[in-house]
Amino acid sequence: MIDIVSQISVGLSIASILLLIALGLAIIYGTMGVINLAHGEFVMLGAYAVWFLQTYLGIGLFAGLILVFVLIGLVGWVVEWSLIRRLYDRPLDTILATWGVGVILQQGVRLAAGAELRYVKMPDALVNPVAFMGYDESAYRIFIFVVAVALLFVTYILVFRTEFGLQLRAITQNRDIARCFGVNAKRIYSLTFAYGAGLAGLAGALVSPLKSVSPDMGTNYVVDAFLVVVAGGVQSLLGTVASSYLIGQASGVLAFLSDDTMAKAIVFLSVVVLIRLFPQGLFAMRVRRS
Amino acid sequence: MTNEPIIELHDVAVEFSGFKAVSGLNLSVTKGELRCLIGPNGAGKTTALDVICGKVRARSGRVLLKGQDITRLSEYRIARRGIGRKFQVPSIFREMTVRDNLEVGYCKHLGVFSNAIRFRRAERDGLEKLAALVGLDDVMDEPAGYLSHGQTQWLEIALLLAQNSEVILLDEPTAGMTVQETMHTAKIFNSLKGRHTIVVVEHDMAFVREISDVITVMHQGKVLAEGCAADVQNDARVREAYLGSGGIAHA
Amino acid sequence: MKGNGHIKRTLLGYFAFCVAILIVPIFISDAYLLNKFARYLVFGLLSVALSLSWGYAGILNLGQAVSFGLGSYCMAMALKLRTIPIQTGAGGLPDFMVWNNVQTLPWFWEPFHSYAFALFAGIAVPVAVAFLIGWFIFRARVSGVYVAIITLAMLVVINLLIIDQQRFTGGFNGITDLTTFELFGVQFDAYSTALYYLAAIILSLTLLLGFAFVNSKTGLILQAIRDDETRVWYFGYDVANYQNFIFCVSAAVAGVAGMLYTLVMEFASPTFLAVPISLSIVIWCAVGGRASLVGAALGAIVVTGVQGSLSDTQAFLDTWMLIMGALFIVIVLFLPNGLVSMLELIWRKKRPLQGSASARLVASRASRAGQATGHRAVSSR
Repeated sequence: MIDIVSQISVGLSIASILLLIALGLAIIYGTMGVINLAHGEFVMLGAYAVWFLQTYLGIGLFAGLILVFVLIGLVGWVVEWSLIRRLYDRPLDTILATWGVGVILQQGVRLAAGAELRYVKMPDALVNPVAFMGYDESAYRIFIFVVAVALLFVTYILVFRTEFGLQLRAITQNRDIARCFGVNAKRIYSLTFAYGAGLAGLAGALVSPLKSVSPDMGTNYVVDAFLVVVAGGVQSLLGTVASSYLIGQASGVLAFLSDDTMAKAIVFLSVVVLIRLFPQGLFAMRVRRS
Repeated sequence: MTNEPIIELHDVAVEFSGFKAVSGLNLSVTKGELRCLIGPNGAGKTTALDVICGKVRARSGRVLLKGQDITRLSEYRIARRGIGRKFQVPSIFREMTVRDNLEVGYCKHLGVFSNAIRFRRAERDGLEKLAALVGLDDVMDEPAGYLSHGQTQWLEIALLLAQNSEVILLDEPTAGMTVQETMHTAKIFNSLKGRHTIVVVEHDMAFVREISDVITVMHQGKVLAEGCAADVQNDARVREAYLGSGGIAHA
Repeated sequence: MKGNGHIKRTLLGYFAFCVAILIVPIFISDAYLLNKFARYLVFGLLSVALSLSWGYAGILNLGQAVSFGLGSYCMAMALKLRTIPIQTGAGGLPDFMVWNNVQTLPWFWEPFHSYAFALFAGIAVPVAVAFLIGWFIFRARVSGVYVAIITLAMLVVINLLIIDQQRFTGGFNGITDLTTFELFGVQFDAYSTALYYLAAIILSLTLLLGFAFVNSKTGLILQAIRDDETRVWYFGYDVANYQNFIFCVSAAVAGVAGMLYTLVMEFASPTFLAVPISLSIVIWCAVGGRASLVGAALGAIVVTGVQGSLSDTQAFLDTWMLIMGALFIVIVLFLPNGLVSMLELIWRKKRPLQGSASARLVASRASRAGQATGHRAVSSR
């Protein structure tokens, strides 16, 4: 019984990280049609940022979170402004360009900070397990889950209850008409991309105490996150959430039953088969394309 | 000309996320006929064509081609059974030359392997005649993306002629054409009648009157009226549907 | 393709390239250099493989390295089984298996005792994997963007699997210490002229066959699919079949490249099946010209040639990768059809159009400028 509960909690924290990364991706892809292959590098940058803040500036994880969100968001802003906005009508080329950005970021970090693994300390307050429902749970994992849910909530409010979100949804549906109504598409795109990047950076920051930090940690995450987006269906926030938790939980269980690699392989195969049955993802809307 | 129906729609309904584009649609087109589908925007005309060629799936009802049920077939299987479609939005192959476009349209042979050893000089003459018919013979080697709007429409029609389907579905073939070009198009369509069955969605009434045998007026996803031009124009229900727009003469 | 003249010109270019690579050993006899060049040729072949799917059919296969790696492992397995017992380990088992306490040769290793099987497998295994994945994704009609993601994921997963199953695959280190490949009495040592010729002949044959293929009707239809996939279905063509076909052809070519690579490098490793090399393939193809087979080959040869002639240190490689990343972005932004397309532009400038076609072209360009955007037809998802 202990195993199952701890299994669920591990699964939940995997899912939460996945959700944060996938959320950023989904928002960017859903709004702008941009597949950001550098997203994994944003995660990586978030982790390195935390390590840097901790090691050289003595700033702990908690305080660092906001800083990291803003920093990586800024990086995202710059990337969008300098590159992405020139490629809106060319989705396949965007993939390539963002892949290039990812390479530059990864190599840059490798040259600047070295390729050795780095370690981030877990905040003291969360090191000890807490008693939860009679079992000892990793406080940190619970923290991750709480942050993810909080951010999900924030994102929901942002997209569905603010002026910004309204404009965002408008340009997603029909950019040209929205612009006729005075919506500044360029600004919205920049902010959206920055927000997505910030979320990824946060995810990286959150995961850093759990796993070691290295320049190539990004690729794994981006592939997982994309599988989540593909399975869940792009236009749907609910879909992203549902498939993050589905895939996160499944990965956790499978990894427990066999090993990490097999888990990944099975998840991948499942998504490929799933896509054959539901090409639009699990939660897609049917719209007449004219 | 026999009177057997070649296309039949029985009680077809199509829905998009709750919106009923077409419901209880009943249509029957005779072999060799030239049928025009007209109606105000949103009447479901394009959706009707979509259902026939397999672009959208009917929620209920049946679609028959030569008596056989094609409701659940994929679009390429329907195309193989003899239905060709021109879409409302230009869909030619912009990066290929006009000649290459026509070669793709000439789809008598469909298999991957058989086409891998087939080189393209063979059908040259036939395609050049086709291009001449629509006035594109002097731009054969230009990328199709460089064509003017009118020329693009011509190319689309030529593609359908290359495809040589028994049934040809056209969505606003004269949009953006000059009067002269429209009349030329009418001539081409009239020459195709009999050998081919043609269903045209159109707004240009002069063109419609010129070519069609029977006109079907659609409104809000259903058939409102059907008959020859004069009948339809005088129909009270049609007048009401077009209320305020001076009747369909000005559609 | 445009008129006959264009085809003749292009074919001439292909011939020139083939002749150029075939006569190299006449001028170079340094074994080390020949090996290096053979390596570049293999990369050229790999780049051609990607060009077939990507340049012609618009299928961005970010996991092309999978076919490459699988082919290389097949060859390595065959060679390993023939390696003198001293290196192979006790009882005819490869050394890494002995180290991993494997008692008997796994069943899927057995057939590799035969070269014929290995050569067959080097093509068949990548094609089988491609066919399987392709059947799912092309039948599902997912957009090009999803294809890219899924092939990337496939690469990551297979890479992990190979490293993980080290009892069967040599894990992280791969399969090393291989004997020399021999066929029909010819020894294809890694530093021999024979191997260079093998690579050059295979590349030339592939280019010429490829040229014939892209000029066939199937090649034309694939280009139409790249242009407007959805429209092609309505002519009755089974687009998914066509896509899967070229996907498998690419896999086959990459598999052959993989087998050659094992001969050139004298080992097979999971790095052959990893993201960095897959990225490199895309870069070579993009730089050279994805829609031109010879352009893709040239891109690979030039890029790896320059890289190889500069340095081999790790620090350099990291910086080089960074520069490549930047160059890649520049190419994607400004020269999406690669360097070969620059040649096309120059040719067009020198040969202005004649007569009425020219006037009409000017007029139509003007009117086209007035057409609304967003008319991406009934196409791309």
